Amino acid sequence: MSGRAPLPDAVRLLSFEDESRLFVKLRATLAWETIRSMLSDARLRLSLVVLLSGLFWAALYGLFVEGFSFLDALHAEVISLLFNTFFASLMVMLVFSTGILVYTGMYCSTEARLLLTLPVRAEAIHAHKFREAMWFSSWGFVLLGSPMLTAYGVVRHAAWPYYVVMLPLMISFVFIPASVGSIICTTLVAWMPRLRLHALTIGVTVACVAALGLGWSMFSQARVDSMSAAWFERTFARLSVTEQKLFPSWWLSMGLIEAARTERDGSMMAASLFESLKFLALLIANALALQHLAGWVARIAYRKGYSQLTGEIPARRRRPLRWFDRALGHVGFATGRPLRLLLVKDFRLFRRDISQWSQFAIFFGLLGLYFLNLRAFNYHNAYASMIGYLNLAVVGLILSTFTTRFVYPMISLEGRRFWILGLLPLHRDQIVWSKFLFSFVGSLGPCCILVLLSDCMLGISWPLIAQHELCCVMLCMGLSGIAVGLGARMPDLREASPSKISSGFGGTLSLVISSLFIMATVMAAAVPTHLFLLSHTLGPSVVSSHGILAWAGGQWGSIAGALVVVGLGLTATVVPLTLGLRAFRRLEA
Amino acid sequence: MIEFDHVTRTYGAKTAVSDLTLAIPRGELFALLGPNGAGKTTTIRMLVGLLHPSRGAVRVCGHDLVKDPRAAHLHLGYVPDEPTLYDKLTGREFLWFIADMFGMPQRLATDRIDREVDHFELGEFADDLAESYSLGMKQRLVFAASLLHDPDVLVLDEPMVGLDPRSVRIVKDLLAARTREGMTVFMSTHTLAMAEEMADRVGIMVRGQLRFLGTIAELREQMALESTTLEQLYLEVTSGRGGEP
Repeated sequence: MSGRAPLPDAVRLLSFEDESRLFVKLRATLAWETIRSMLSDARLRLSLVVLLSGLFWAALYGLFVEGFSFLDALHAEVISLLFNTFFASLMVMLVFSTGILVYTGMYCSTEARLLLTLPVRAEAIHAHKFREAMWFSSWGFVLLGSPMLTAYGVVRHAAWPYYVVMLPLMISFVFIPASVGSIICTTLVAWMPRLRLHALTIGVTVACVAALGLGWSMFSQARVDSMSAAWFERTFARLSVTEQKLFPSWWLSMGLIEAARTERDGSMMAASLFESLKFLALLIANALALQHLAGWVARIAYRKGYSQLTGEIPARRRRPLRWFDRALGHVGFATGRPLRLLLVKDFRLFRRDISQWSQFAIFFGLLGLYFLNLRAFNYHNAYASMIGYLNLAVVGLILSTFTTRFVYPMISLEGRRFWILGLLPLHRDQIVWSKFLFSFVGSLGPCCILVLLSDCMLGISWPLIAQHELCCVMLCMGLSGIAVGLGARMPDLREASPSKISSGFGGTLSLVISSLFIMATVMAAAVPTHLFLLSHTLGPSVVSSHGILAWAGGQWGSIAGALVVVGLGLTATVVPLTLGLRAFRRLEA
Repeated sequence: MIEFDHVTRTYGAKTAVSDLTLAIPRGELFALLGPNGAGKTTTIRMLVGLLHPSRGAVRVCGHDLVKDPRAAHLHLGYVPDEPTLYDKLTGREFLWFIADMFGMPQRLATDRIDREVDHFELGEFADDLAESYSLGMKQRLVFAASLLHDPDVLVLDEPMVGLDPRSVRIVKDLLAARTREGMTVFMSTHTLAMAEEMADRVGIMVRGQLRFLGTIAELREQMALESTTLEQLYLEVTSGRGGEP
């Protein structure tokens, strides 16, 4: 082995602190540039995000104030249990979400590849990517937790120290599950690379089964005695599993409860605050220790794990649905074959893109889980109908996020393949139609099944189910039309990242129009139906026996509502698609 | 400067690089050639520390890339086949970030950044965000970043992709000048003309093994094909008809 060469002139290895400082400076510059470009290029999106976040925060705050006022008056002892359950659930979710984000940031990003070729410590890169992962995984916790805890403080008339310690308690808590997620991720990749997918699958399955089991045990017999004192007692007994003193979620709950305690005696107040600070110290100490451990694991495992992962050969993919592709490509008239082949291609891409179908499966799976539990509550007929429409709106809103995120960028992404598509014997219209059919047909099945499930669980009558299904079909058609039409009208052919395409002006506009369309459709169907049901359940006097309300609450009102729904659906489909087709025909790639 | 000491890298049951032993001295421009899937990228990734060898060791200026990667990286500059930049940083900010990572003093960093901006004619767009750059502009910026600290070893993976003819000329002249000053260049390329024009020695890799190592004149001699082009020689070697090491 040859001797070591002296260092090149004027370069030196940095200390860990200097490396961290540089990463913080980098992050600040990137954040500032992102905000600046959003302020200049995406004002609509930024304003919407701020406005909707504010509305969401205010709505949550109001809801929590009401809830805590009710509980404070009747069942103050329940609050500790609620906090424990809420924070324990978040703790589990934060472990998974941070683990996945650390994996993506440290092992799959091009930035990691750049940083690993620089003279930087592995633990400094880890700290940089960990901060990023923690921010992305916990902003939801802050958005959800801050109105809840502020409302709790207001209802309990907590003194100012409560508001001072609230944020440090939350932040130090978040570090604990996030560090655990990071340690699990780096360990799995470095020493059990083959096991990481299995570990993730097992972890998610265990968490889902536990959540299902808990939900089932709470609601399975609910028809008999739901919301009774005995039911509450049983439920609380089951949830008390989250009140373990070794759980950081318990430390957080107790820290908050102690800080919010109002005592007349000053020394008692000081004692409560001191208790709260002890829990804060406990959280900070554990957060620091786990952070240190996560850094240490990264130091010995990151480069090794990166090398392992880079060296892996992707498993040969099985294609169990090839028969389906073949059938779709061949069945039907020959003239429609190019269109069907485009559909087969899009379907294959969807199947093989785990980020698309996994998000689809998770969101619709969770909705299905919620709908399955609807039977537990006994609703009156009109109330059940209202819940049914709200569920319909939720299905539509979730679908609109998918059409905006995944369907809207499809035309833009085809722009990069224009040299292939442009040489094929295809009319450009067929490309647009194939995207529309892919989205419409693909969303129809899951959405209609979910709406049917919700209605069956709510015990809604068949004529109403038919109306809900009609709305659902129109929503699927309209949302697909909006996403594909606007995607063709405002394509971004230079951008390769679908998330960047969908977060631009066109994507935001598509999401806003989709939301308005959903609201209009659901309102058009729900108002007459609701008035009709109210007049039949509670008597016409409730609705008013004269005028427009009586007409709207009658049979003709329901028919008119259904016609408006169809009209809205057709408009939302035809107008954007026409605009999109025209623009796409003129497009110069 | 660069040592591959009985390096083997396997991917599961597949051997990507098999028992590679290679030493490249100071001031040499070495070109690694080979068909797709020959093991060139794996070799480069081991040389810059992204991949660890399954067996053997890779050293740069005596520093083992696995045991002491940071010290090795201080001597290394790397231009990957796909330039990686931060979209929301300007070219100049990116150069400053790299200079800071190498611990360069402010004054020297300013001089070096100006020098490389000038060399690679980046002045016009150095203060624009990188998201607005073309592939060629990105590649020039990455070249500039890799040379800021005057590395002893420069590793290039398909360096000319995306560069216009003028930029190619700039890079070639710069490499010639730097190697004369003692910098070692390890380059993987499919551009045989460039290897023929620039390389002191070439290595031809086929299915993870170094089939040939030497100068182009030695290759001609070995293949007993006096007046043929490098392209013909390369095709001969990679077709498996000759050039056993």
